[in-house]
Amino acid sequence: MIRVLFFGPVAERVAARQTEIGFQPGFCLQDAVAQLTALYPQAFEIVCFIAVNNVQTRDMKLALQDNDEIAFMAKFSGG
Amino acid sequence: MTDAVRLQPEDFSVNRELAALRASSMRMGGIATFIGCARDFSEGREVTEISFDAYGSMALAEMNKLRDEAIAKFGLLDARIVHRVGLVGAGEQIVFIAAGAEHRAPALQACHWLIDELKQRVPIWKKETTQHGDVWVTPHP
Repeated sequence: MIRVLFFGPVAERVAARQTEIGFQPGFCLQDAVAQLTALYPQAFEIVCFIAVNNVQTRDMKLALQDNDEIAFMAKFSGG
Repeated sequence: MTDAVRLQPEDFSVNRELAALRASSMRMGGIATFIGCARDFSEGREVTEISFDAYGSMALAEMNKLRDEAIAKFGLLDARIVHRVGLVGAGEQIVFIAAGAEHRAPALQACHWLIDELKQRVPIWKKETTQHGDVWVTPHP
């Protein structure tokens, strides 16, 4: 399984802070994004940053591993 | 002694943070601080409180990285970063940054750099509670 995290305004649009998606060999970040965007289109309108295992990435071809953690985040507004 | 970088729901003591910073070196000739506070008015609306959400593990890792980078970039003797999460009432403190160096210029520059970078790089989001409903805040320059 791949653990998926949502925060702040993204979590509000998803109406959840986390979910899981099934892992398949050859699964890459783009596959996860496509699957989740279809489920939560409004939330993904405001996603600006993606982190895999706590590290930000823009590499949509990044190969995912079983038990990875992906976070989808809107623009930050701390401070 | 508390950690130099923290995310916490409770308020922080500026005096205690400064004492901890100063205890790290007697060579410190300049200390610059920034304290971010919750305003009671924003975008034409009265704000009663602000709710902060964070990706805790990544936020802490990024704040520690920022501190390390600032120490190296500006030759600081020490730096501290504390950010609150959860509910913060109007008028309360949100974030504390302190940079200590041998001289004032690097301390001031580092403090400015740290708060600017924190806003860009640390995964924290704020939602203001107003009479007209709750509003997620879009980033300010």
